[in-house]
Amino acid sequence: MCEYETNRQPLTGWGMPFRYFFDSTVQIENKAKGGRSTRTFISEARWQPIADSLQQGDYVLIQFGHNDEAKEEKYKDRYTPVPDYKTNLVKFINETRAKKAIPVIITPVSRMRFDKQGKQEETHTEYTAACYEVAKQYKAVLVDLDKKSRDLYNQLGPTGTGLLFMQLEPGEHPSYPEGQKDNTHFNEYGARRIAELVLQGLSENNIELAERVVKPK
Amino acid sequence: MLVAFSLPPKKIRCWLIGDSTMANKEIKAYPETGWGMPFAYFFDSTVTVDNRAKNGRSTQSFIDEKLWQPVVDNLSEGDYVFVQFGHNDEVPTKKTYTTEEQFKNNLIRYINETRSKKALPVLITPVARRKFDSTGHVVGTHEVYSDIVRSVAKQLNVPLIDLDRKGQALLQQYGVETSKLLYNHLQPGEHPNYPEGKIDDTHFSELGARKIAEIVLQEIKSLKLPLADHIYQPATKK
Repeated sequence: MCEYETNRQPLTGWGMPFRYFFDSTVQIENKAKGGRSTRTFISEARWQPIADSLQQGDYVLIQFGHNDEAKEEKYKDRYTPVPDYKTNLVKFINETRAKKAIPVIITPVSRMRFDKQGKQEETHTEYTAACYEVAKQYKAVLVDLDKKSRDLYNQLGPTGTGLLFMQLEPGEHPSYPEGQKDNTHFNEYGARRIAELVLQGLSENNIELAERVVKPK
Repeated sequence: MLVAFSLPPKKIRCWLIGDSTMANKEIKAYPETGWGMPFAYFFDSTVTVDNRAKNGRSTQSFIDEKLWQPVVDNLSEGDYVFVQFGHNDEVPTKKTYTTEEQFKNNLIRYINETRSKKALPVLITPVARRKFDSTGHVVGTHEVYSDIVRSVAKQLNVPLIDLDRKGQALLQQYGVETSKLLYNHLQPGEHPNYPEGKIDDTHFSELGARKIAEIVLQEIKSLKLPLADHIYQPATKK
């Protein structure tokens, strides 16, 4: 979701193309940060300044999970068990609403992982389910980006889906001389396709923000 | 006595002149992307990419509209001028139509005026359109005008990047379906800028633009242009 510097091109978070979807009445502040879980986003004091500056009618689009769910030892500094993940999502929702702003819960965008039959597998099961539970309990708008992205991958198949991700041959791109084989992070094209899915999800929820989508003259 | 001066390396400017397939796009045209846009990220801080390509222009209208003169006026020794036209030259029904003879003469003009400033011209054949025959083989769409670019390059000993052929090879590698991802193909309702969708087999998506720019970069290396020494290198890890 986050912003990346140009020397990491073509690495692109979906928040980057997302900003171009709206008219001049909408301002996008992309505060997402690589490697953060709900827990570290709070502990690094990244959430508090947002909560402090929220105004009535603002939207907070919340997508976490990739780093919360990382159980490997090397990621223990970011790992967040499901109950804590839910508690943190609830905190985001409550503190957003306290400012009369509107929270939108987004399930974690799927990683690419095809089974032997060429069908995209679920890669965030528990944490996506947690988003559903919290959104239902707190009647928050939910965009199931996990499901939408898996549908897109199934439609594109393994070859086409690979073109959404940071997959580069050695020597192909100067920023990555040794190439890249990344099934999690998107290139500029994938980021836009994912941003389109988020936009679609907002439209389906009939939220007012979706009426401020740019209209061609 | 020996005195060593350490001067900052001279800036090299890469001027891009050409048509919409190369041009920077306005946000309202996104996700259509010209290959000059990602190309700008490929170089280190000694290189500036100045993309002057413009939608709809032919070799002739680029000159007539005074888009070329400011480039010539600002050229410095060691700059590069990448020239890619053809899409709007080769269509007799377009008002930008440029006869084969005139196309050739205009290319020669770009070369000579670039060289008169001790800058380096690079000719590029018009990048391939997405066109397949019924058996799934790529079909060329710029045969005549690409050949003119090739022959002028040979005649005047100008480095040539054959983006028509290389682009066709990329299309063939991707095949009929997957190659749609390289071009501006959008479903109705998919992208706000194109509510009714779009099927465009000429202009690129972000992916196609970058893949084409990567081919250009590869060719810059293969041609051993000195510019290749200024390709961006990430700081070495560890």
